[in-house]
Amino acid sequence: MTTRLLRTTAAAVLLAAGAGAASAESVTISVWAGGSGPNDNYRVDAIEMAADILEREAAIRGEELDITVEKKLDNTWDDFKQAVTLAAEAGNAPNILVTGHEDIAPWAQSGLIVPVEDYLNLDAWPINDIYENLMEISSFGGIQYGLPQDAESRPFFFWKEHMRAIGYTDEELDALPESVESGEYTLANVLEDAKKMVDQGVVEAGYGFYPRQSNGPDFWQFYTSFGGIMEEDGKLVLDKAAMQDFYQFFVDAVEAGVTRKNHIGTPGDQWYAEVASGKAGIWHGGTWHYARYVNQEGLEDFFGTLVFSLIPAGEGGRPNTLTHPLVYVVTDQADDDLELIAAELVKIASEPRINTLHAIKSAHLGIAHQQSNIDLYANDRWAREATERLLPHANAMPNNADFGTYWNAMWSGLEAAWTGQKTPEQAVNDVEAELKNSLGEAIIIR
Amino acid sequence: MNASRNIAEPARAPVGAWAAPARVRLGWLNSSKGLGILLLMPALVLVVLFFLMPVVLTGVFAFTNMSTATGITGGAYQISPGALRVLTDRHGMGDLAERLGQPTYVVDDRGLAALEEMGIDPGIIAGLRRQYSGETYSSRREFERDIRNLPVRPDTRTVKRISEVFSRSLGNARFRSSTALIAAADAIDPDLTEEEKEALTATTYTGWTWTNDNFRRLATSRDTTRVFFNTLFFVAMTLTLFNVGYAMLLAITTHYIPERPAGIFRIIWFLPRISPVVIYVLLWKWLAWDTGFISAVLSNFGVRPRNWMLDTAANAWFFVILINGFVGASMGMVIFASAIKAIPESLFHAASVDGAYRWQQIRHIILPQLKWPILFVTCYQTLSLLTSIDQTLLATDGGPGGATEIWSLWVYHTALNNYAGNLQYGLGAAMALVLVVIGIVLSLIYLRLFNYNALVAKPRIEL
Amino acid sequence: MIGHLRTWPIVLALSILSAPLVLMYAYLFIDTVTNSPPRSFIPNEFTLEHWSFLWETRPGRPSIWRVTLNSLLFATSTSALVIVVSSMAGYVLSRLNVPGRAYFLAGVMVLHAFPAITLIVAIFLVLQVVGLYNTLIGVILVKAAIDMPLGIWLMKGFYDTVPWEIEMAGIQDGASRFTVWRKLVLPQVKPGIFALGLFAFLLGWGEFILPQVLAPSGNAQVLSVYLAGLIADDNNFDMNLFKSVGLFYMMPVLILFFFFQNRLMNIYGGGSKG
Repeated sequence: MTTRLLRTTAAAVLLAAGAGAASAESVTISVWAGGSGPNDNYRVDAIEMAADILEREAAIRGEELDITVEKKLDNTWDDFKQAVTLAAEAGNAPNILVTGHEDIAPWAQSGLIVPVEDYLNLDAWPINDIYENLMEISSFGGIQYGLPQDAESRPFFFWKEHMRAIGYTDEELDALPESVESGEYTLANVLEDAKKMVDQGVVEAGYGFYPRQSNGPDFWQFYTSFGGIMEEDGKLVLDKAAMQDFYQFFVDAVEAGVTRKNHIGTPGDQWYAEVASGKAGIWHGGTWHYARYVNQEGLEDFFGTLVFSLIPAGEGGRPNTLTHPLVYVVTDQADDDLELIAAELVKIASEPRINTLHAIKSAHLGIAHQQSNIDLYANDRWAREATERLLPHANAMPNNADFGTYWNAMWSGLEAAWTGQKTPEQAVNDVEAELKNSLGEAIIIR
Repeated sequence: MNASRNIAEPARAPVGAWAAPARVRLGWLNSSKGLGILLLMPALVLVVLFFLMPVVLTGVFAFTNMSTATGITGGAYQISPGALRVLTDRHGMGDLAERLGQPTYVVDDRGLAALEEMGIDPGIIAGLRRQYSGETYSSRREFERDIRNLPVRPDTRTVKRISEVFSRSLGNARFRSSTALIAAADAIDPDLTEEEKEALTATTYTGWTWTNDNFRRLATSRDTTRVFFNTLFFVAMTLTLFNVGYAMLLAITTHYIPERPAGIFRIIWFLPRISPVVIYVLLWKWLAWDTGFISAVLSNFGVRPRNWMLDTAANAWFFVILINGFVGASMGMVIFASAIKAIPESLFHAASVDGAYRWQQIRHIILPQLKWPILFVTCYQTLSLLTSIDQTLLATDGGPGGATEIWSLWVYHTALNNYAGNLQYGLGAAMALVLVVIGIVLSLIYLRLFNYNALVAKPRIEL
Repeated sequence: MIGHLRTWPIVLALSILSAPLVLMYAYLFIDTVTNSPPRSFIPNEFTLEHWSFLWETRPGRPSIWRVTLNSLLFATSTSALVIVVSSMAGYVLSRLNVPGRAYFLAGVMVLHAFPAITLIVAIFLVLQVVGLYNTLIGVILVKAAIDMPLGIWLMKGFYDTVPWEIEMAGIQDGASRFTVWRKLVLPQVKPGIFALGLFAFLLGWGEFILPQVLAPSGNAQVLSVYLAGLIADDNNFDMNLFKSVGLFYMMPVLILFFFFQNRLMNIYGGGSKG
């Protein structure tokens, strides 16, 4: 029989036995979140809140359930994924993980995680209120493996004062998001304006366009801006022309003196401090930057200082943004009872009211329709505007077991072109060779 | 529990009395061979566990496609959409994929009978039979919705169990063994050919498989060349400039100054070696960071603050070599210094103490004496540098732009630590194997070079 | 002294070359108890605020004392294990007539050159099979195994210097070879054992990558992993805090080095990774 059936049956039997005897059950559920800073505590705190509710529900049913939640926030992604993968291989993975949705594919294949749909009624509250596209992003091969934990998107930021200094009027600045959206203001204009800022001494050389300083999903947006697509019918796609244009854009930025050649590897804290204090003219970030700028970096008048928009279109592409939802996933455990409890906790943590705490504190976007009916969410200008302006145009990275390989290759190509070790053409050819070599027929190259 | 312990204890000989009977009982310990084997045992266990087995395993891994997605300890058989696509594309078995993979739920008597056996509430079964008998669903969610609409509404767990029983496809099912997979496939389609079964087993397997791809990839990847030359550059520069060159400079110069300052300098240059690596590299970061010492000092001269360590590839190399070299220099320093100390005073006294002669002393007296120590340090440190990782990992992590990525770091990044979480154990093992082979070959050469046989003088007590 | 003329240019040159190191280590002390205005390195106030990590556990991190205890356990156990294993095996290689002895000694030399870090995936698997992944005991065993070849080599060297006459005399008195080793030879190499123990302790105390990969969890975390985690967290960049933790971490090293510098220098001269 399928293991899924075995698992469900065993869980049911276990729970039935537990309920029948009305015995006290004491369990420990551990939850780890990757890539999380001090504003992201509700990623794990929500599970603790859910545990409290689940315990009360059990008590009302006459069962005694005692859940201890062990929480861990990990600041990095590489160390987090290493620790999680090795712990899972060793058979003691934490019960619940908060991770990027793109991990679902490889982790589902290796059996590290189990589908939440084996434990939850997807038609019941609060799951039936979650945005359909986010549910899809947290599924793989038609199976609902996880539930979205948050949503976000990645905008361009413009420092108003610097834009005014190179001749923009307030009206033009107000209209900037629309002209980006309509495809009028493009990445070519970004370079142009950045160059003006540097040439006129508004910002220092290398600070006209000040991109993310480390690897991240953000860079796929530029590939999309130049017309690239990541996946088609379940197969990865490398669009060489779009990839080269995207590399070329960064090389042009370096050559124009608006971006530093040695930008990659700038310490993260330095980068945040600089963009939040007006050292840079134009840059790109994520919705959560709002929380960082305002809570940690002391930027007081966010809306008076910055304009934000989609990522402008490049040649042959369209303006876009990328949403990279984190998801709650439940890991495979020897004791199926734990999987069931973990799935229940994840479900309760997805309550709009609980999720809103995370969304607003960390300046991410909500996951469910009803969050706009919660005052905390509705009254937050950032959540409202960012949702309206960005989310309709959001792409996501594909859930594909080979995507990690593609991603690493894309990044090493970008690094090589950016730092001048290869021309964009060479870099793309090397990426192609590398991908052909490692993925073979699993990737379409055009 | 307690009682048995009380009984057991008197039976054990008191500690003091142990020595006497031991000699009789463990007589073989009195022989060189017996005792030798006994004393070697713990070392052998550690060697087998943490050297031999890992090497063998690495050799095995190197010929697999093991990764995060395949897992290390084996796989299962899952009829995933990806597997079905491969079945269609590569094996031309589109029909089979369609038949097995399309989710189908059929409410039939077989299923209802199974439910009765499982002890499901008869009310639910009756409801299913009455309302949905003969129905076919192509989506689990829709079927489960209908189950929930029954007059006797089952709870979520029961709904899952019921829908599972009526599933008549293998779409996304996961099996622990290939026999289970084939049995299930046979149940749906009894006419499977052997060829189809084989293709099905191969394409649905989620675990790792044997492959030569890792070595082919290594041989053809352009990164290999780049990292190889990075490693060569790193080892050659650190070795010549610091581990030997600078170490010699320190040993010779401290030889020519009074003992007290000489001792102080040796202690200073020893600090990098005894400092825990995390702190040591942190101090360099403090020196070179954009808010660090160099930036602060230079900002007084109008130089814009920057991250000196990661500013350019050249800077990164400069710091990586310095950071590694400062640690490496101390070993040579101590070895060379003691070799110089061993030179008879009379040799020096024979020469004059004039400044010009000092250079002559170095050339004609000291350097010839240092020949073997230099060779030793070179050999030893080549191996150390080839496998060193901590300092470079913490300082530049191979950056900027992969400029300082050296082989050992590359292995670590490939197999264990990268942003996408794509841990390629198989490829990493193949890379590691290259280092293992280089290490073994070099050390065998060195053993010959240093006349190994002289080191193993025969024991003089043959007992 | 040989060449007593004009030593000051050499001292001067060495002082200049050593300046960066001296500077780095001097500021390791200075920055932990002072604050300096931005872009300056002349402290303008004395403070103990950077040491608050000692009494306030930082959110999301284990207590410093727990971590210190782990480090202490890790380093002492590794050291003890290396001593025991090496003093046994070293004796065999120096004195006893065991089949394959020559090969074992050659093997030890080869092992010493082994790229342990590159085998780490396989080592992980071994630990996992024996159920010791993410435990202190697991990393202790691995670290001891990695330090062991050097330990054996050094101990063999120490045994080689013990005169044969001692053993001959013991054997003639009718003692077993085990007793001879235990009662007569071991006391002769006590200084060597002490130096090796010290050395292995320091190696264990400073080790980073093994615990980072093989025992990352809060329960088994050691100081190096704790400090590296603090530094890697780009939400709380605080060089003075890093240095304070660093100095706290380095204190035992400095104390041991202060008292036993000569022995340590000798043993490092005998060879180690670097």
